[in-house]
Amino acid sequence: MSEAKLAITTHNLSCRYGEFTALHPLNLDIPKGEIFGFLGHNGAGKTTTIRLLTTLLEPSSGEAIVAGCDARRNVVQLRRQIGYLPENVRLYDALSTRENLRFFASLSQIDDARERVEEVMDFLQIRDLADRRLGTFSKGMRQRVGLAQAIVHRPSILFLDEPTSGLDPMGVRMLREVIERLNADGMTIFMNTHLLSEVARSCSSIGVLSHGQLVFHDRIEAVSARYGDEAALEELYLSVVPGREDAA
Amino acid sequence: MKPSILIERHALAGLLRERTIALIAGLFALLVLASAYLGWSATITVDGIYASAVAWFEQNGQVAPPNPVTQGSPLALLRNLTIYISLVGAFSAIVIGHRMVEADRRAGVLPLIGTRPLDRLDYARGKIAALAEGIAGLIGLAAIVGVLTFLILPSIHVRANEWVRLATFFGLGWFYMMTFGLIAIGSSARAQSETAGLLMPAVLWLTLTFVVPALTGNILPTAAINPVSALAPAPQTAIFDWSAALLGPISLAEAYKYLGAELLGYLPAGLPPRGTVPPLVVLILTGAAAFAFALSSCLKLDMTKGGPDA
Repeated sequence: MSEAKLAITTHNLSCRYGEFTALHPLNLDIPKGEIFGFLGHNGAGKTTTIRLLTTLLEPSSGEAIVAGCDARRNVVQLRRQIGYLPENVRLYDALSTRENLRFFASLSQIDDARERVEEVMDFLQIRDLADRRLGTFSKGMRQRVGLAQAIVHRPSILFLDEPTSGLDPMGVRMLREVIERLNADGMTIFMNTHLLSEVARSCSSIGVLSHGQLVFHDRIEAVSARYGDEAALEELYLSVVPGREDAA
Repeated sequence: MKPSILIERHALAGLLRERTIALIAGLFALLVLASAYLGWSATITVDGIYASAVAWFEQNGQVAPPNPVTQGSPLALLRNLTIYISLVGAFSAIVIGHRMVEADRRAGVLPLIGTRPLDRLDYARGKIAALAEGIAGLIGLAAIVGVLTFLILPSIHVRANEWVRLATFFGLGWFYMMTFGLIAIGSSARAQSETAGLLMPAVLWLTLTFVVPALTGNILPTAAINPVSALAPAPQTAIFDWSAALLGPISLAEAYKYLGAELLGYLPAGLPPRGTVPPLVVLILTGAAAFAFALSSCLKLDMTKGGPDA
């Protein structure tokens, strides 16, 4: 596939912390407009991968091209193109939703920061939270505000790290709908998750990471054709992810 | 708006909201007022005694000597400020510097800032500029109190060159406090925990304010809290000659007090500075090193960490 059609491409991208290899050389191509589900056990290297792709970490070797920008050489340009929602997102508790969003929108250097903040609050139905300080918010409310800061600057790629973690079923459903609407508008979504059900429902392609290595990568249709339903997806996951003893 | 200016404004607004900072600024303001009151009280007392003495001399047909208040520099009235700036001022700067980065880390927003289209240099510039303005605010408060004190006292007449010296004194105080604030920024940016980030500059401040001056020869127990005993000559022994030569170049508090005394006009005649390096050079070199430390630490700041458990 030509690079112009790819949202994310990595060549031997790796990350080491001293002797420990968090991510073995990773080669991954994600076309534009995908909802990519990145599966893996705790400590598999999913968050490290997101941190590398969002320029929060420098790779030990290899390269990553995100939205056409090199993650080492065009860092600032790359950051204009991406939105990021970390697991357990936190914002300034002493500020209101609107103040938080205006700050992050301004940092993203968009011209219409104030108008855009209002637009995003409407889109995510959080206008009723606009003037409330975040210190009193529940996990679900924070997640929505966190998602708002991630999309306020109209990124072309959205990185979500375990976005449904700790959410109630209503929160999960709301998030899924938002992700689908954003994707329908052309946004590429890169989502780390534990939940096979979320992958089965929302994602157009999946990758499975185990102990820092990509052990599976395919389109969801191909997976469905071969494995049928969600239970079979679980079977696939368990078959490609070796136990800790096997990996050692 | 430039990202560095956004970071700067945001950091300043955050400082103004913090109770700890308000408490420290209040304490600093209180001590500045105390310093001004002590100077004012001493001047009024000496003036009163002098007026009685003049009456006594006149009754006995003798010529009264000149008023001691008008003999020395009127700026010496604020000499206690030198001590308060080196004690509470420097410590306030440490707390402000520490909060600069720590507030973002504690809030858990570093990963969100780290993925915005701004350079780490913009972040560092914004934080250092906010620190400079925060400290300027504290020093500005001290300057206003100082100037008002001179304007209120009837027997004090400050000449044009003395106003310049006073302004330079406050500039020196700002620079001294900035040095500690920059060290605190650098330390909190590098430290793995909030406690370690505050402890390192606090220990350094304690060492430079209380320990090093005693080792270079100022063995008076009140040296750290009294502007006059801070300028005692070192004992003439080989040990203190050596220790002053070795530690003089890093004895930041002594360098500041020496220059402060010179600017306010109460430096004892003929008192040499500690060590062989001129105090101004000591301050400038340390300030430059602190700036480099803060800048490099912010450029290497780990933006992946955040939240109260980080």
